[in-house]
Amino acid sequence: MNDKRARALLPIVLAIAGGILLFNLIAFAFGQAPASALRLAFEGTWGTPYGLGQVLFKATPLLFTGLAFEVALRAGLFNIGAEGQLGLASLVGALVASNLPASLPMPIALPIVLVTAAAVGALVAFIPAILRARRGVHEIITAIMVNRIVDAILPWTFSTVLGSSSLRTADIAPGAALPRLDRVIPSFAGSAASFAFPLAVATVFAAMALLGRSRPGREIRWVGLRPEACRAEGIDVERRMLLAMLLSGAIAALAVSSTALGYKGYYELGLGAGAGWSGIAVAMLGRGKAIGIVLAAIFLGTLEQAGLAVNARVPREAMNVLEATLIVLVAVASRVASQGARAAASADPEPEPPRDKPAPTPASEEARS
Amino acid sequence: MKKVIAADPGLRAARYPRGAMRGPVMKIEDIAVRYGDCWSIRSATITLEPGVIHAILGENGAGKSTLLKAAAGFAPRVAGTVKIEDGAAAIGMVHQHFMLVSAFSALENLVLGNEPTGSFGRLDLTKARREAEALMEKTGLRVNLDARTSDLAVGERQRLEILRVLYRGARAILLDEPTAVLSPLEAEELYTTLGALAEGGATIAVVTHRMDEVIRFAGHVTIMRRGRTVLSRPIAADERNHPKRLEDELTRAIMGGEPPHEASPPALAEDAEVALSIEDLVLVDAAGKRVLDGLRFAVKKGEIVGIAGIEGNGQRELVRAVAGLEPGVAGAIVLGGARLPAVRSTGDLRKRRRAVAVVHEDRHADGLMLDASVGDNLVLGELDQIDGPAAEAALIKHRIDRFGVNPPDPARRAGDLSGGNQQKVVVARALDRIEASPERALVVLGQPTRGVDVGAAATIHGAVVAAAEKGLAVLLVSADLGELKRLSHRILVIHRGRIVAELPPTAADDVIGRAMLGMEDA
Repeated sequence: MNDKRARALLPIVLAIAGGILLFNLIAFAFGQAPASALRLAFEGTWGTPYGLGQVLFKATPLLFTGLAFEVALRAGLFNIGAEGQLGLASLVGALVASNLPASLPMPIALPIVLVTAAAVGALVAFIPAILRARRGVHEIITAIMVNRIVDAILPWTFSTVLGSSSLRTADIAPGAALPRLDRVIPSFAGSAASFAFPLAVATVFAAMALLGRSRPGREIRWVGLRPEACRAEGIDVERRMLLAMLLSGAIAALAVSSTALGYKGYYELGLGAGAGWSGIAVAMLGRGKAIGIVLAAIFLGTLEQAGLAVNARVPREAMNVLEATLIVLVAVASRVASQGARAAASADPEPEPPRDKPAPTPASEEARS
Repeated sequence: MKKVIAADPGLRAARYPRGAMRGPVMKIEDIAVRYGDCWSIRSATITLEPGVIHAILGENGAGKSTLLKAAAGFAPRVAGTVKIEDGAAAIGMVHQHFMLVSAFSALENLVLGNEPTGSFGRLDLTKARREAEALMEKTGLRVNLDARTSDLAVGERQRLEILRVLYRGARAILLDEPTAVLSPLEAEELYTTLGALAEGGATIAVVTHRMDEVIRFAGHVTIMRRGRTVLSRPIAADERNHPKRLEDELTRAIMGGEPPHEASPPALAEDAEVALSIEDLVLVDAAGKRVLDGLRFAVKKGEIVGIAGIEGNGQRELVRAVAGLEPGVAGAIVLGGARLPAVRSTGDLRKRRRAVAVVHEDRHADGLMLDASVGDNLVLGELDQIDGPAAEAALIKHRIDRFGVNPPDPARRAGDLSGGNQQKVVVARALDRIEASPERALVVLGQPTRGVDVGAAATIHGAVVAAAEKGLAVLLVSADLGELKRLSHRILVIHRGRIVAELPPTAADDVIGRAMLGMEDA
């Protein structure tokens, strides 16, 4: 059995090995000694406590956006609007946080900011959600349009409404800031990893457990599996779709905790951008499991950080090519691996047809099989 | 019917002097077929000779259709040999779901894939028509060649399929459940045609679920059980004089033991009050057709009323209207003396579901979540009435045990169950829930045993009778006349959205069949 499991994991190992090979080729193409660039990438990520902290920092928003995509996917919806949901929520969240009195303690200030951001994220998601549930307009189309609207709203708010030329908000109140992880793990010193990471991991596990066990969570999943059957049995399909989409938007918005609240201390235009798109890859690689989403987010976080680490010697664009290639490789490999595992678990290696003669059984039992 | 054929080729040649039409002998020896991890056929041996109708019988998933496909060369054979006298070109298969292009004319479909062409590949429809006319003349199969295929009746489309197979030069015709979609009269006509083709020397094999067809028309029967041929023998002419004895033998072979006892409707009190009354139900579909056209009837408490009819005459819409899924329906549905309000929200639907249990005819579309577990499917839509996970597990176990869902594993993916067990899940959810509801009044079943094997059908029939015994009114829509006659107190025949006849369950098949076709004297 162990042997079979190892065989099932082989494709993933091969995919990562292929990625390392490709990395070396790219580094070589840019005139670098392959091994040294690889060492640089490793030291910038898993090789040092600082690098590890940066990996966790990069993974944190992806945990939220990956979970957000997964929640909507359960209801059969593609929430590709996380980018816009996160953007507007970050702006509003940071504005609220910067206007809170400095004396407000964290247990009050932080929830206020997070709830506001989540509400804004849900509100942005509400537009594609209600159009889909009530009018059947495809959520991908509307979400793309909403993303573009938010893209326009953000700079306009900075320049016109706030009258700020620096395109950033004021500093947030100290109570709304999430402390860095180096408070408890001193060796992370200097890295941007904050308590947003454990918050994100806890959110992933809690949300996935609720989806699997609670009544709304299960009904969301059922609606995603077969809406007609659910409608016929009296489940409010539209409401469940709406709920899933709003939850998705709210969760995506929580990514603000790792950027504005846990790292910069303010929101500036473009902070956290891209996490909404990477979240789709996280959810797809995570394959509907909490631990899968966590591992996928850390994997993508590692790639992002590695790209930064070698940036001085290999251009970032080349690293983006590597990143995209690796995601595809791992996605293919994990599918191959899971099929291999299933085949290894169920089928005997024996290819001969079963020639056993049927044992005479009573009709009642025979009929059941 | 002629006596069974001898194996001697010389003798056969003497018998079919024309020769041209004589079908090939197909010898299938000890074959095994596997789809993925699942053995569809474990060991099957059968010899198909020309001259008689070969019937292949068996439960769902026994491997009947696969056997035909293996014979025609469509199935991934793992072991065994298939010997066909003149090669596979002589074989034609008529599939359960017709392979016709509905926008084409009948003639175009007839020659599809084998078109006579003129210069530059132009379609020579004049030649095609000449050949088709000749073929129809020779075989006695008639189809209006100029009709659009989508306008043809089901029986005509089937004749067209057979003609197409013959047009390609096939002399062996394999038919997969050809009568599942036909009315009794059309089925009889089909068997007459097939009998004539067999007389003419063709090799004919038919997969069917219907015992009566085998006893009346087949010259040779093969029974499959769990992927094996367990019986394969000719039927002598005098055996038809004792149909019951033959039927018992075949049923035992199909089931692998004694047949389950047949359900019968419970006694109905003379003064039972009316539970459901349908008054002037009208439904107009998107194309402006009146699919329900002033339907009216009543069902008493504890009464099982069967609805017979050729498919597409409003049965599906009737079930959906009573279920509350057709918002555009006009007329009244009166339940227990009170007119049911129109369903405008999910809340209204849930309210109706407390009084009315529904099994929809298409279980894959409207009944089951194939990718969810059996347990989830068994409690779909009633999580708000269940008190915690322990109560839910107990309820699921109760339903699995009561209906004998096999394997009895709530975590199993519903799509991995056999068709019969999937249907048990759907019926278990509907019936067990309504029986526990204080407002229970009515059960509506659309094709509750379609594509379901004998054992599972017996379980479902027992549960339907039990529901009627508890005082529920039962409306049973079915294409299976045997089922209707066995279970119903009365049979109503629906034709073009109206009830055209009310018959006792003792009515003869052809009487019901004529009514189904809308003939006046029914």
